[in-house]
Amino acid sequence: MFVYEKKLQYPVRIKNPNPAMAKYIISQYGGPDGELSASLRYLSQRYSMPYPEVKAVLTDIGVEELGHLEMVGTIIHQLTRNMTVDQVEKAGFQDYFVDHTAGIYAQAAGGWPYNAAAFQVKGDVIADLAEDMGAEQKARVTYDNILRMADDPDVIDAIRFLREREVVHFQRFGEAMDIATSKMDQRNVYAVNPAFDKKK
Amino acid sequence: MQNMDSCTYKEGPLPSCAPLAVPMLASQQSSEPAYDSADALAKGTLFPGLDLPFMDYVAAGPVENTPLAELMALDFVCQELALYLDTHPNDAEAFKTWKSFTALAKEGRKRYVEMCGPVKRSDTAKFNSWVWPEDPWPWNSGRKAEKK
Ligand SMILES: [Fe+2]
Repeated sequence: MFVYEKKLQYPVRIKNPNPAMAKYIISQYGGPDGELSASLRYLSQRYSMPYPEVKAVLTDIGVEELGHLEMVGTIIHQLTRNMTVDQVEKAGFQDYFVDHTAGIYAQAAGGWPYNAAAFQVKGDVIADLAEDMGAEQKARVTYDNILRMADDPDVIDAIRFLREREVVHFQRFGEAMDIATSKMDQRNVYAVNPAFDKKK
Repeated sequence: MQNMDSCTYKEGPLPSCAPLAVPMLASQQSSEPAYDSADALAKGTLFPGLDLPFMDYVAAGPVENTPLAELMALDFVCQELALYLDTHPNDAEAFKTWKSFTALAKEGRKRYVEMCGPVKRSDTAKFNSWVWPEDPWPWNSGRKAEKK
């Protein structure tokens, strides 16, 4: 069950429209390493996860990622509200504008609609946690790349916050991996998949 | 890999011998040292050991002091400690800190709701009418709560 809170995790206050920036930041909304992928990945991986600590990590990080999705949506909204058709044309934002006007649609920077093929739920403890650690790194790099290009301090501030969260999440997934593998057969952690093979 | 008896807050011990082909990451040793809540929110982490910015993209300072930012900061510390506790469930000291911040956040939330409106839908019960839909929503900036 989820309960909505009518506030963001971190303030987003962007004063100036800038569709050119919205065009690439949207990838963290509906792109391969974006926040929608992150939340769906973690919240979906929970069901087959056998260990209580790891269920908690997947839940608590997965829910935070939904909060990040809302922050990224807010960034795109504030970059595109009040934009003029002239700004749309100058920014090369026509391709998006013609389909979605100033609405927020889950797509990658390249225009592909959100695709669940961007993430996996393997149903195997080590494989899923290794994917999660990789996912946090890929999201971090996407934010690094956004920081290289963004030139509005209002945008940079929120992106910088979101990027740091990926570093913290990486640490927690690493610790979750350690907790999980320490519960497995120490001579061969790959002898069985504890998410599928029943304990004898 | 060296087995360290005492690591700094930026490090964690690893076993001197460990099985091959098992991913390992140094575990955070303690929930201390920690930033204060306003700094933690601005930096995006409570923990100096995990504060690893890209190039020189660092917070200009603590987030502007508004009732909303104050509540965000308290909730953020609770979230950071909760994630830490998920992987350190036996850290009694961190649990104590989490409990005290949870109490602070509850107080802060009460003050904020009285001043600025409902955060959870159920907060609307404290008002005389159905004010839940009223603007501003989180994606609209210029919330009255953002003014000092
Ligand atoms: Fe994340």
